[in-house]
Amino acid sequence: MMRPAPAGWTATLRGQAPWLAMVAPLVIFVIVTVIVPVAMFLFRAVDNSDLRDSLSATSAALADWSLADGQPPEPAFAALIADLAAAQEAGRAAALAARLNQAVPGTRTTILKTARAAASGTLDPADPRGAVLAAGKAWENPALWSVIAQERGRLTGYYLLASLDLQRNPDGSIGKVPAETALFLTILWRTIGISLAVTAICALLALPVAHVIASAPPRLAGLLLAMVLLPLWTSLLVRTVAWIILLQGEGPVNGALQWLGAISEPLRLVYTRGSLVVTMVQVLLPLMILPVLSVLKRIPPGYMRAARSLGAPWWTAWRRVQLPMILPGLLTGSGIVFVFALGYYITPTLIGGPGDQMLSSFIVFYTDKTLNWGLAAALSVQLLAVLALAALLVAGVRRLAAGRVAG
Amino acid sequence: MRLFHLLCTIALAGAATGANADGSVTIVGWGGTWNDAYKAGVTDPFTAATGTAVTLDEWDGSLARIRAMIESGAVSYDVVSVEAPQLAIGCDEGLFLPLPEAVKANAEHYLPGTIHDCGMASDTWATVLVYDGSKLAEGPKSWADFWDVEKFPGKRGMLGQALYTLENALLADGVAPAEVYSVLRTPEGVDRAFAKLDQIKPHVVWWNSSSTAIQNLDSGEVVMTDMYNGRVTYDNENNGKNYQIVWEAGFFYGTDMWAVVADSPNAEAGKAFLEFFAVPENQAGFPRLYGYGTGDNRVYDLLTQEQRDRLPTSPSRIGYGAAYDSEFWAENQEALEQRFKTWLSQ
Repeated sequence: MMRPAPAGWTATLRGQAPWLAMVAPLVIFVIVTVIVPVAMFLFRAVDNSDLRDSLSATSAALADWSLADGQPPEPAFAALIADLAAAQEAGRAAALAARLNQAVPGTRTTILKTARAAASGTLDPADPRGAVLAAGKAWENPALWSVIAQERGRLTGYYLLASLDLQRNPDGSIGKVPAETALFLTILWRTIGISLAVTAICALLALPVAHVIASAPPRLAGLLLAMVLLPLWTSLLVRTVAWIILLQGEGPVNGALQWLGAISEPLRLVYTRGSLVVTMVQVLLPLMILPVLSVLKRIPPGYMRAARSLGAPWWTAWRRVQLPMILPGLLTGSGIVFVFALGYYITPTLIGGPGDQMLSSFIVFYTDKTLNWGLAAALSVQLLAVLALAALLVAGVRRLAAGRVAG
Repeated sequence: MRLFHLLCTIALAGAATGANADGSVTIVGWGGTWNDAYKAGVTDPFTAATGTAVTLDEWDGSLARIRAMIESGAVSYDVVSVEAPQLAIGCDEGLFLPLPEAVKANAEHYLPGTIHDCGMASDTWATVLVYDGSKLAEGPKSWADFWDVEKFPGKRGMLGQALYTLENALLADGVAPAEVYSVLRTPEGVDRAFAKLDQIKPHVVWWNSSSTAIQNLDSGEVVMTDMYNGRVTYDNENNGKNYQIVWEAGFFYGTDMWAVVADSPNAEAGKAFLEFFAVPENQAGFPRLYGYGTGDNRVYDLLTQEQRDRLPTSPSRIGYGAAYDSEFWAENQEALEQRFKTWLSQ
């Protein structure tokens, strides 16, 4: 292998200066429009400012209180009234109510009502406990007070824990959420499982197709390549809907099977895990074929023939000679397909059942419908962590394979 | 967070071309035939009466978009139609302006749930029990029949989310529409709804989009389904179908709300539009052309019997139904959807 002569990095940089100047706009563009906003959004996964900015006096008054002590102390109620009045005046009450409602569902209206009353001075300062408890039943709930007492730092683990089906118990320990709401790990494994299945099927289908294109005469190869690329030029939505039409109860696939007598009743093909995987494979397959094809074309056909003529059966020759050389392309393709598949959202919504929805559709739900950007960010962090793991894995396998080929 | 605002501004700059005050107003509805009916029935007459030009845009109801616009200072929408639970959340967050006093003065004439501190109904619709009259001579009469797979064998279509589905489960369990939310507000009530859903789960084909659901009904894949009433009427009138809505089974009506976006560049024109729409004769322009109702009950006197029969909130229908409780869903949607999706995954 050719390696560049060793040089100081300043010398290297100087030699590359014109090139660096040309990529600089792209780098700056990506940093400003992608990396910084994404990082700031992801920070919301641990940001506790909604609570900390609004309830600092109350949580200070609860510093020595714990759930076992029963009702919170009198000063906490007085501090709460002052805090809520300030929050209402600063326009932070809604964010505070939304945040507390996430932790203790069903408290939002009471908090907003109490904040309005506190700001207008209708809560009797002589009897803060009585005034607050009279403002709404939610204040009788010790869980609400224990959240206020626990979450007083700049950062919170609440969203990241929730995204892993965990919660902080009132006594401060970390435990599982009740089984009937333990959702996100199921979704995470489902998302990874579907993406892996799609990647594996794409790899299996891409190998023979790429092989045929690589060994076909140029004119036919061009035609085949165009057929591979054609779906890439079609809108994702059109391709997805086309599959719905093909697979539906009275669609051509069921029609053909019935005409052949293979089935008597139409099979349920659409809105299933199978239909989702088939559609995703069709959409993503070109992204696997192209990198495999590009390495395959560079392998001289003589290598396979040499191995065969030395007595290796076809399978052995392919496995020991051809596969190691295709591997870099296969790994690149797998990486691309897996990454694309992880983020799928429209296709599962249209062609999957409710049990086939992937992580992205939950991120959309929390971003758009309930404005719980903290949990949306925590789920995005999860997705990003899977991506990072996948990238490490691909890099590791590549290094391992390179070592084996060289040795 | 100043840097964040700046970046959002850059990101939205391309989309925010309409963000200047020029005496026109950008009104944002749900698109398609809904926008067509609004244009012919309401916004064209508004332009004729006031001289204010209207740009009728469409969106997907995403509050996140409104919040990002306001945080970045590039608000390109003036008036939006937004679902009632999202209106309640956005109103508390200060994303929408308070309703003009002149509109609020009419509150006594409005149906429950169709007027709010920040908005007034742009349309009312319902999720109803539907079967195909060309396939079932004797159809279901109640949500209990919907659950009765002995009497009506076959699959049922149901929307794959907690909102609407929990209500229907309690109707099937014998709860009157007006009592449903007081039951759902207790933990036992939620358990009761899920226990009822357990009974029907093996017989359900879940749907995400109304086109899917209607197609499943049309192909006979399901014998009955829950569905938006407007979609059913549309197919009966335009595609020659004979889908039957079982109004007397009980239903919940939902409301989309007109609201003026905070920091909107044409807020005054936006408020003028709401004041125009608050006049019953102007409001009637929409339900005359579309299968959805509006909030002011005086509007229904201005419609023909045939127009009234399409609407969930007309005087002859509304006794069978109740309003979706947007305060309840604003508080509980996250927790209940999470439990519902977990239940579906089991």
